[in-house]
Amino acid sequence: MARASSRKAADGLLPSALRHLHLYFLLLRAQARSQAVYRVSFALDALGSAFITLSEFAAFALVLPRFGTLSGWTLGEVSLLYGLAELAFVLMDLCFGGFDAPNLSGHVRTGSFNTFLLRPAPLRLQIFGSDFALRRVTRLFLAAGILAYGVTASGAIWMPEAALLLTGSVLGMVAFFGGLFVIGGTLTFWTVESVEAMNVLTYGGRTLISYPMDIYGQFLRKTFTYLLPAAFLSYFPVLHVLSRPLPDGLPSLAAYLSPLVGPLMLAAAFAFWRVGVRHYGGTGT
Amino acid sequence: MQAALPSTRPNVALYASVARLGFRRQFAYPQAALWGLITNLFFGVLRIAVLVALFGQTPQVAGYTVQDAITYTGLTQAFIMALSLFGWTDFMRTVHRGEVASDLLRPHDLLPWWAAQDAGRAAGQFVLRGLPMLALFALVWGATFPRGLDGWLPTTLSLLLAWACGFAFRFLVNCAAFWSADAVGFGRFAWAVLGLGSGFLMPLAFFPGWFQTILAFTPFPSMMNTTVELWLGVRAGPEAWAALAVQLGWALLLWALAAFVLSRGLRRLEVAGG
Repeated sequence: MARASSRKAADGLLPSALRHLHLYFLLLRAQARSQAVYRVSFALDALGSAFITLSEFAAFALVLPRFGTLSGWTLGEVSLLYGLAELAFVLMDLCFGGFDAPNLSGHVRTGSFNTFLLRPAPLRLQIFGSDFALRRVTRLFLAAGILAYGVTASGAIWMPEAALLLTGSVLGMVAFFGGLFVIGGTLTFWTVESVEAMNVLTYGGRTLISYPMDIYGQFLRKTFTYLLPAAFLSYFPVLHVLSRPLPDGLPSLAAYLSPLVGPLMLAAAFAFWRVGVRHYGGTGT
Repeated sequence: MQAALPSTRPNVALYASVARLGFRRQFAYPQAALWGLITNLFFGVLRIAVLVALFGQTPQVAGYTVQDAITYTGLTQAFIMALSLFGWTDFMRTVHRGEVASDLLRPHDLLPWWAAQDAGRAAGQFVLRGLPMLALFALVWGATFPRGLDGWLPTTLSLLLAWACGFAFRFLVNCAAFWSADAVGFGRFAWAVLGLGSGFLMPLAFFPGWFQTILAFTPFPSMMNTTVELWLGVRAGPEAWAALAVQLGWALLLWALAAFVLSRGLRRLEVAGG
């Protein structure tokens, strides 16, 4: 079916983009269908996925009252950070799952990556549509719930501007972590050992920005602000929404950079991806 | 003539060599182990930061000092692989692939055979990942160790019992494969419960009373939290031995349950196989 629709000649940019979008959703639907075959198991899987997030957040939320605050941050304020990071990461995982190093290295090792190269459809589109884990959708609802709690409990003054700022924060994070997935996936064209190393940046980065970054030491905070600019993604926007000053005397403008920092990372990642694919094609396998 | 008649009661030597093989297999990919160590260390740093920030100026909470909380983090990060806190699906896979049928032809019982293999695996991971992690935590953050025979003996026994409880629980979860063609989802749920209940995410003593009461009726604290409390000396003396008795009780119960469920599962397997 995919082959038939892509064989039609492409005329014009818009029809071609629409056709690709159609193809993408066809790929997603096929996977969603196959994953929902065992209904009970799927339900448990979806529940289990949500429970991983829930237990992690609950462990923190249940323990916090005994201590008071987390370095001056209330549960509502931390929920804002935690919910944003979780929401963005799950959205990103749903979109970019195919690029995640374990998935892509699996395709490279078994040779099914060659099949992707042979098919008359854009390579990246196929990878985008190659690993859609439907069970993660439950986590989206949970993340939205945590974020909603954060919004109501943090006591921030809510203006359309704040909503826009946080939406930009989520989009920036999706692009940023998507870029990290693409880089990790590209590295598997050279070595499989990189899988665990990238986990530090992806899953580690997600965990890092789920909490206010002033709790980390100077070295860690500065590394993830200036070297790997993760602090711009959600920490600065949230600080701004809560009317708190940014660290290091940064101007409040820095809180608006998330929708710029993320796509920049993604663009760099796809540039690296092109190098990787050329390298892969060059091995003659 | 000495025909090798397959005995239904194999000797200890067989299980010992299975355990030895399980131990040695862990050292096959040293580079992966190194990256694993780095990942665990990074997450350890993040978890320490959250705990230290929670403590703030408070000197002690629920019997834990800040230093205890840091040692707790080092212990949990060190035990992840040895106690398979993120889950274990090896047995499930042999059932789904049908390999369990050929395993049944061999002259050994499935439960002790898998237990021996997992014991070897756990010991290997403890040496490869756990000990370096503890050493790093001791060097960098001054993680503490039990003192004297009164500290080491109950702690060591507790660690062995934590493995025994954890293995029996993991094996039970894997037995779901006999009933479901795709038991991985069931497993994912179970591992999430394990993470929360065993005290991996937070020391159980920090939770509200009602939550601790619920957990006290489950075997999950016996799968790690008890060992941490004995290590830190939060529980000592007669209290420590009482905790060990609870762990032993859960270990025996879970093993009996695992043996029972396995036998039911195998009977089902025969029916399905015609």
